Amino acid sequence: MVLADSESAVILRLRGPLDLKCQLDSIDEVPMQKAISRTFEALRLQVKSESCVLAVCNSPVLIWPNKSVFEEITPDAPCEDIFQFIQTDDKETSGKRSTKKKNKKGVSASVINLSLMMEATKPGPVSAPILTRTVHKSHLLCATLPMDCAVWSSCSDTIKDGCERLMKALTCQLFDMEKVTLQCMKGTTLRVPEPLHFLLPEPNGLVTVVFPSGVLDKELEAQRRELHGQFELPDNRPFFRRANAYHFPNETYRDGYLRNPHTFLTHPTLDNGKVYLVQGIYSYHHYMQDRMDDNGWGCAYRSLQTICSWFQQQGYVERGVPSHKEIQQALVEVGDKQASFVGSRQWIGSIEVQAVLNHLLGVTSKIMFVSQGSELASKGRELANHFMTEGTPIMIGGGVLAHTILGVAWSETTGEIRYLILDPHYTGVEDLPVITEKGWCGWKGPDFWDQTAYYNLCLPQRPRVI
Amino acid sequence: MGRSYIVEDDVEGYLSRLCSLLAGPVTGLLIGQSTVQRDFVVMTTRTPQNDESADGGKSVDKEWVSEHARQVSRMLPGGLSVLGVFIISESDAKDTLTTLRQLVFSVENLISSERLWTPADDDVTDCVTLHVNPKTRKTVCRTFDVKDPKSVAKPADWKYQSGVCSSWATVSCCLSVDLMVPLPENMAFTRNMNDCLKEELKVWAQQIERGVCLIDGKKLPEDSELKAGQKKNVRQTISAQLLITPDVQTAADVVQRCGGCVSVRGAIHSRVFLHSNKPKAKLAEKLLKRDIVSTVATRVQMLLEEPQKQTEENKGRKQTEQTCLPRRVFCPVKSSGPLSVCDYQFSDEGLSEMIDRFKEMLDMDAAEEDLDATREIIAEVVESEATEEEEPAEENEMLDPWRNNYIGVAMATAVALLALAASIVYLSDV
Repeated sequence: MVLADSESAVILRLRGPLDLKCQLDSIDEVPMQKAISRTFEALRLQVKSESCVLAVCNSPVLIWPNKSVFEEITPDAPCEDIFQFIQTDDKETSGKRSTKKKNKKGVSASVINLSLMMEATKPGPVSAPILTRTVHKSHLLCATLPMDCAVWSSCSDTIKDGCERLMKALTCQLFDMEKVTLQCMKGTTLRVPEPLHFLLPEPNGLVTVVFPSGVLDKELEAQRRELHGQFELPDNRPFFRRANAYHFPNETYRDGYLRNPHTFLTHPTLDNGKVYLVQGIYSYHHYMQDRMDDNGWGCAYRSLQTICSWFQQQGYVERGVPSHKEIQQALVEVGDKQASFVGSRQWIGSIEVQAVLNHLLGVTSKIMFVSQGSELASKGRELANHFMTEGTPIMIGGGVLAHTILGVAWSETTGEIRYLILDPHYTGVEDLPVITEKGWCGWKGPDFWDQTAYYNLCLPQRPRVI
Repeated sequence: MGRSYIVEDDVEGYLSRLCSLLAGPVTGLLIGQSTVQRDFVVMTTRTPQNDESADGGKSVDKEWVSEHARQVSRMLPGGLSVLGVFIISESDAKDTLTTLRQLVFSVENLISSERLWTPADDDVTDCVTLHVNPKTRKTVCRTFDVKDPKSVAKPADWKYQSGVCSSWATVSCCLSVDLMVPLPENMAFTRNMNDCLKEELKVWAQQIERGVCLIDGKKLPEDSELKAGQKKNVRQTISAQLLITPDVQTAADVVQRCGGCVSVRGAIHSRVFLHSNKPKAKLAEKLLKRDIVSTVATRVQMLLEEPQKQTEENKGRKQTEQTCLPRRVFCPVKSSGPLSVCDYQFSDEGLSEMIDRFKEMLDMDAAEEDLDATREIIAEVVESEATEEEEPAEENEMLDPWRNNYIGVAMATAVALLALAASIVYLSDV
């Protein structure tokens, strides 16, 4: 399902479980497939029936889409009106406000969450229940389908239109799920189909794909390659790994780290200049996190952690962000350091960062050497190229400090340059306003660097895979 | 501060009549609604005669009284429950109190053992006891907290009033029921089915409890007051709706072996009575969900209590049996406003049997034309042990692939076997 994007829009997201239950008299392939198909057909009828209900989360709004009954709202009102009815606690609303104001880059969208429910009540008189008892050595298929549909709704769309599109998406998803279930069926092993949303570059927008759950990205390479072809996407970077799934604006990250704080900044405008930024999502790692007191010595470790988080969240690696100990252990394993290094407070530099990225993540990096800090002012082109082609965060070490470069603003004509710096020396809590206002994530000029010290930059290279 | 019971005038009349008519101790049940806000007693019924009792009914039989309470409890729609026990006896007050205490605990234990819904924090756990002296007509009312095995008697007020439930509201709905549960592979036919079904009912009860309840089409905040009882003597009905979501299955294996399955499919009519003193939406929702769960559980229980036909397990043959659950029939409680009681009618019973039960259990005189049997219809069901009806369908499924030549060797063999022995269903050796 492909949906068009527009500047300021509303995403209607419908989620809810549906029971997939059927008795399998035979586990031979053909009858089993038929039984499963029949069950999916019954589910499609169920969602088209009058007992299907959409409940807007945290609000009294209820919609019966198949009999045009709208509770609390009028069908012809624009989708945005639903927000009036949603009750959120203060913490959420303040977060939402700041997100809406400052998130200029990319898609500015708010999400309306709906729950899929079934009305169990119906008009009487009714037929009293019948108990049916079947004794037969057979199998029972019992699973829950995690329905998850997302449709884009522009400001002018009415609630009625939005709901119609949601219901179409729901039926479509059931067809997709049936296909995936039957394709991945091996004997009596069945994989529960799982929908995932991916935000693709224009003109595709938000796309929903059904994958079999429990199957690793590696094993789905053929399907992903087909999808790349279908959406005309380059085949040297992943778009459909599970880690690439779209993170909806109102979902919180359970690990507590901040994501992409740079997106809340106003980027500098230089004469004939352009801004080149890291592509994708990273987490901000800094001093004192994870109950690790590395104040004064851990800055390069934290920068390395930020880089590792980028590779994990873009789906290139499965492993989580390594701890200081794991980083030190890796360096011992490659022979770069003695065993006594583990548990110490010794600093590391770009060469060590390069070694760890290679050993733990299988990622290669280029090293850029600058004999004096003042020379960095002339590295605009290289840095711009890096962000355009690789898009990975850069670790820079020199003097006594290490930092992460997330982007560069550079003018080819005037040579003016600014660096987007993520500072690992921050010791406070994950407070976004403080971090952006006090410059812990901020744009710096060429005078930020020690003009006489030498610097080494580690530029991680993006693996050319899908 | 003790509880204060507001009692329907008719109850006084009934107890009076019992005093003058009978000799020897008489026990019975007190029925009504007990909420945090108010306590009401609206009906009462004496314990039926026990023809098999050892001493001809001279002493109080705890088990008999409890069993009567259990059966009466099944006949009460939502909002009405057995609140306590009365005794009419000339005995010493202290002895009677001990007897009453034993009865009340025994009754509560038996009734709650059948419940599938979880008790709520705001449930009233006090039960009422009433001791009436037939000579002096003096009544002594005490309550016991049945949640506390060591509880002592607390004094309570007992006030008669007319038209207590004349403006009570009725909340009702019809609800679809669709349960399916697998039976284990090697099973003792009947016993395992009972256990499986009871487990599934518990899961279904939780699903109902989690459901979203709409009152008159809207989801109301918990503490909002329902517009009930604002006009005296006006019958008020409130419609309710229930929205549910299925349980999320977490079993690792999606496909599991089983020895068959049991399903319960159809719909039921649920009814709840609410007192008219500014009842809250929360109360209506709680009582409605409980009635829904109770009415289905009661019927399944009643079916399982019927003597089961022991069907022989015929290896390889698919056996299907269908039985109708009894349907709910209502009987109005005379001169008590909108209240009614209910009973369950099996397909082989007539309305006269229900009239007899209303008389025996609730001491109610009702005529057939008073009964409301229009809410639920008993479906037509073909009770068959042999599966002649099932097989042709299966055969067609087997034969079609054969006709289309889409099968492998195994299938061809199976179909050949089918063709030879037409009435045996093919089963792979599992």
